[in-house]
Amino acid sequence: MTIENKKGWISWFNPFKYGTDRWMYALHRLTGIIIGIYLLFHVFETSEILKGPVTWNSVMVSLDYPFGVHFGPLILSLVLLAVVYHALNGIRLTIVENGLMLPKPYRPEYPYNPKSLKGLNNFLKILLGIFMIVISAFGIIFIFTGWLP
Amino acid sequence: MRESQIMFLQYMTGLLVLVFGSFHFLLISFLAPTSDKVLYSYGGTGYTHVLVGGTLYYTVVKAVYSTLIWGSIFELLLTVLVFHIFNGFRIILSEQFQGERTEKFITYSLLVIALIIFIWGSRTIVLMLSGGV
Repeated sequence: MTIENKKGWISWFNPFKYGTDRWMYALHRLTGIIIGIYLLFHVFETSEILKGPVTWNSVMVSLDYPFGVHFGPLILSLVLLAVVYHALNGIRLTIVENGLMLPKPYRPEYPYNPKSLKGLNNFLKILLGIFMIVISAFGIIFIFTGWLP
Repeated sequence: MRESQIMFLQYMTGLLVLVFGSFHFLLISFLAPTSDKVLYSYGGTGYTHVLVGGTLYYTVVKAVYSTLIWGSIFELLLTVLVFHIFNGFRIILSEQFQGERTEKFITYSLLVIALIIFIWGSRTIVLMLSGGV
């Protein structure tokens, strides 16, 4: 079974000249893949605790200082950003893809400006942006300094 | 199972991941029983690092792992997350590589990897619950 004119990967990660939804879709995929790979690593890394305190503590230290640099919190911050985005956008998708908070079906008329991209859907996106900034700011500050509000 | 049912499961597991995942984050922030709640706060410099505290210190982590409630939360989170992630991978891959035989191959190979990850994680949780090594 061959399908012609199938762009595949390239088209997913090519959100240029499309709307915000396309960008959010590409980011959702990308962050999903990142978190998935992180889980594989995380399961392996936490299983090191079975080897006793010496191994565990040295793993923790080497995760804090990968490549001899204090990179640990930086990597953790990137994972946090991915998780926060994926979670918030996931909530938005659960709402929108099930047809909630969208306008009623209507007849498309020239110039075909979709109503679904206005109103409550847009409000959800703005809300997502605000939550994203607030949560990830607190999270990153916590990762680097241990400060909690 | 029909694809729509799997997608419904994907939504549900996503929401459950949110619930259990927030417990997981609460654990490493609020509940850590250390005076200084700084992650990665290790004393010492050079090649010998001495762990002086922080939430990921061995005894702290072991104490958390040996609690039944946290153990079951970890196990539930692992189950739900493995499903969500590998179903996501399956969707991505089967969109890219189409065809009936390819799709079956993708499904079953990902199922095997998912089971390995699940068993590997459960092994850690169960062994730590029963006292560690």
